[in-house]
Amino acid sequence: MAQTHKQKRLSAWSTPLLLIGILVLFTLLVTFLGDNSLARMAAQTLIRVTFVVGLWIFVGNSGIVSFGHAGYMAIGAYCSAWLTLRPQMKGMFLPDLWPFLATAEWPVFPAAIVSGLLAACVAMVSGAAILRLSGIAASIATFAFLAIVYTVYSSWEGVTGATSSVVGLTRYADQWITLGWAGATILAATWYANSASGLALRASREDEVAADASGINMYRHRLIALIVSAFFAGVSGALFGHSLGVLNPSSFYLGLTFITLAMLVVGGIGSLTGAVMGVLVLSIIIEALVRMERGLAIGETTYALPTGAQEIIIGVIMILVLILRPAGITGGRELRLRFGGR
Amino acid sequence: MNAIPQLLFDALSLGGIYAMAALGIALIFGVMKLVNFAHGEYIAFCVFALIVPSTDAVAVMFLGKAPAIILIPVLLLIGAAIAVASEFFVFRHMRNATPVAMMISSFALGFVIQNTLLLIYSSRPKAISLWPELNQPVSVAGASIPLLQIIVILTTLLVVVTLALLLKRTRIGLEMRAAAENFTMARLLGVRANAVITGAFALSGALAAAVALIMVTQTGVADIRMGGQIMLVAFIATVIGGLGSLPGAVAAGFLIGAVSVILQGFLPLEVRPFRDAFLYTLVIISLLLRPNGLFAPKSTKPRV
Amino acid sequence: MKHFLTATTITLGLATTAMAEDITIGFAIAKSGWVEAYDAPAVAAARIRIDEINANGGLLGNQLKWIEADTKSDQAQSASAGLQLVDEGADMMIVSCDYDFGAPAALAAEGAGLNSFFLCAEDIKAGIQGVGPNSFSASVLAAVQGATVAEWSAQERDAKTGYVLLDTTIEYDKGICTGFDWMFPKAGGEIVGRDTFLNGDASIASQITRIKSLAEEPDVIMLCSYIPGAASAVRQIRAAGINSTILNGSAVDGSYWLDAAPDLSNFIVPVQGSIYGDDTRPAVNEFRDAFEAATGAGPSSTYAYPGYLLIDLWAKAVERAGTVEASAVTAELENMQNEPTVFGPRSFSDQIHHQNTAEMQIVEITNGTPGVIGSFTISEPVPLDVLLK
Repeated sequence: MAQTHKQKRLSAWSTPLLLIGILVLFTLLVTFLGDNSLARMAAQTLIRVTFVVGLWIFVGNSGIVSFGHAGYMAIGAYCSAWLTLRPQMKGMFLPDLWPFLATAEWPVFPAAIVSGLLAACVAMVSGAAILRLSGIAASIATFAFLAIVYTVYSSWEGVTGATSSVVGLTRYADQWITLGWAGATILAATWYANSASGLALRASREDEVAADASGINMYRHRLIALIVSAFFAGVSGALFGHSLGVLNPSSFYLGLTFITLAMLVVGGIGSLTGAVMGVLVLSIIIEALVRMERGLAIGETTYALPTGAQEIIIGVIMILVLILRPAGITGGRELRLRFGGR
Repeated sequence: MNAIPQLLFDALSLGGIYAMAALGIALIFGVMKLVNFAHGEYIAFCVFALIVPSTDAVAVMFLGKAPAIILIPVLLLIGAAIAVASEFFVFRHMRNATPVAMMISSFALGFVIQNTLLLIYSSRPKAISLWPELNQPVSVAGASIPLLQIIVILTTLLVVVTLALLLKRTRIGLEMRAAAENFTMARLLGVRANAVITGAFALSGALAAAVALIMVTQTGVADIRMGGQIMLVAFIATVIGGLGSLPGAVAAGFLIGAVSVILQGFLPLEVRPFRDAFLYTLVIISLLLRPNGLFAPKSTKPRV
Repeated sequence: MKHFLTATTITLGLATTAMAEDITIGFAIAKSGWVEAYDAPAVAAARIRIDEINANGGLLGNQLKWIEADTKSDQAQSASAGLQLVDEGADMMIVSCDYDFGAPAALAAEGAGLNSFFLCAEDIKAGIQGVGPNSFSASVLAAVQGATVAEWSAQERDAKTGYVLLDTTIEYDKGICTGFDWMFPKAGGEIVGRDTFLNGDASIASQITRIKSLAEEPDVIMLCSYIPGAASAVRQIRAAGINSTILNGSAVDGSYWLDAAPDLSNFIVPVQGSIYGDDTRPAVNEFRDAFEAATGAGPSSTYAYPGYLLIDLWAKAVERAGTVEASAVTAELENMQNEPTVFGPRSFSDQIHHQNTAEMQIVEITNGTPGVIGSFTISEPVPLDVLLK
């Protein structure tokens, strides 16, 4: 007997719970078996999960590759800095901030929320312009958007410090806070994907013309997806800044864009599981390779990879995965429990 | 000294570099629907091929010592070789993959090439003095212009014309155009897929080598990251020009170069560091006005 | 009485163990990626000084030991490297040359209550203002470099007009130009124009056109940039027939890039120590030879020297404080006023953990050959408000 509708819905909601469970397990293992620096890298991984899942909310559902999400991350990161830094610091390094921001000293959680909201607002404006386009034109427009954000943030001295790093952010984003946000993002992604808007958007991804003929307003649903997606990208930016303690616009440009897109695609662009597993698997492999570059002591001798080999190996691994499984590791399927039926 | 001819030559020479890079990307996109993010690294690879592989601070000329008559063809071959090699090892196995997957693997390939160069040559920029005589100023139409700029403009025109002739008059050119329009149909009609794709990659690699030669002569340095900036602009130029349209890519490359030079020349000082932000805003506007590109061939519009 | 005896025994026992322990210096530096080329020479110089101290009996009676972690030219890895070294028991942290890449590791050290030293960061933030009270930098601030060439060219070369060409890619460049803008008018010069470019620009033709459209060629062009963009800019400037004296910051020091601009002349670089063996202070030339003997090749740029200097100054402060404990060492460092070193006097204060004035060697390149032509110190130190601009 096939699954009933209720069983299918339960099944669909099992995905985020399973994924969150895996992340919790990951965090527990790292906290109790690893050292401080490993815990720090775990926090970075979870921040990337937040970002990539946010990215997937838009890219996975609409089929449009967005190169611009690193821009939303930058907006969120700097917004949180503006809201939480001590006013003396801001007076010294960011003299042209508007008076409301220059004197603001907010607690970190509201600051994170507002950072996400600011990114979402920018997404609304930029999306209104860019989302009229389709396919590769839209992707290039998102690229142009990223370049605009990068240029503005690295030249506007009085407000963002330009190429001078912003310092003094409280480093509250440890592995548990980031775990919480990653979990929230996964739940939000599942909620959106199973909502009417998400389904309509996926329909338009498969066949634009047919969806249009069925009365789906592609533009509106894409905009909704982009706004939700940008919110979480902005929050991940805030977390990034508060994990490192230092902010610089060059952290939110091409390097980040490509590595996160690569993690999404290698994991499997079609599914939420793909987004999460892509980040988790690649981050673990990268960290393992970095440790191997430091040297593994086996018995008397220390084996170490030549420094610089890690980047080459991870690049080769990504190419191999894509050649052998072009749809990514998960192949677009979700991790879920089946209830009833066959 | 006349400002207008000077501006014109500045714009044309920068545009020429962008146009040739855009042409390299457009060629491959035309036949494979692949945006080759490794193209910038082909350029870097060709530049580093001129010097002896070593991590020393001072670069020793290797290939670069050869006279121009040998150097140019050999470097073009090297460029073609690395492009064809990457097709053979990576892209051939991805003919049926989604465009996104191919794009990411081209990025990963570029990443691998860049880090391999880093490992072999170290990250310190190396100085290469190639044909310094070309950097002497020459007086043309009242403007004082480095000889190199004129050579760049002439070379771009030569390359574009040669390529146009190749595509319109030769059999392999005909096959490439057919494959760019409709790959499946072309194969059904007897076009050999491998030959066409390999040919496109070889041409693209040779174009990368040409861009590399120009950049090295102009800037005098070999830097691991030199391909990245050019490649971004080339990518954007390809799309603005109209994907699948080679003349479009060339025209868009010249256009972006011209706009960049004009912005740098006429923006007030406080706003000048934001030059690229203006440029990219214009890119978005251009896409909104003409989403299929300025010179899109009829075949790209979906027939609904 | 019993407690007194126990306490004394324990204290003596601990003291003995402490005295028998090595002092560990942590190097959180780039061993791969693009920052490696800039960190490696300074690290080599630092280790030479460490070996010298060990050969002379060590510090406070203990041998100096070093451990390292690779930051891989990545900010997140830098933080991780810093934490790793703290966990491994570093008593002091040496971090990357570049502020952006050294800061995450330095913050880790500061958080653990350790001193951190930037190998050669020339940004005021690489210190109290940007990391914390126990953080220092061994190098000379960028603004001092700009001010030095400004005053030197006005005095020695009678420069009246100057053009500023700023590369806006990194903060260091802006520091140089800030120093130049402050000092050149004071020294009697006039800035006749300015322009900006990016290090990665394929061509600076428009910027050159603007210089050529001035009524007359400026006496000096202040080029605030670093290699490779600076080399490319110089090549194009000379190719356009502009013969003004080009002034620079220390970042272009070294002869490894000179092939890019063949037969270069009228080119001025201020450095804290010459790598060509012709420094006006013999001790510097001796160190240069020692560096070559230890590593197989001479230093490729002046940025090797701050590595030596930082160990030198830190060790002196530790000797005076009698401990490696951070706040005591910081207090001794801040007391240093014109402390004599191989590279000239060095000072720190409780406001500035850098050099805001320094005795610099002026290197001129003539027909492609670099050589020291003199020594110069600016007439007044760069004030804090100019540095923070």
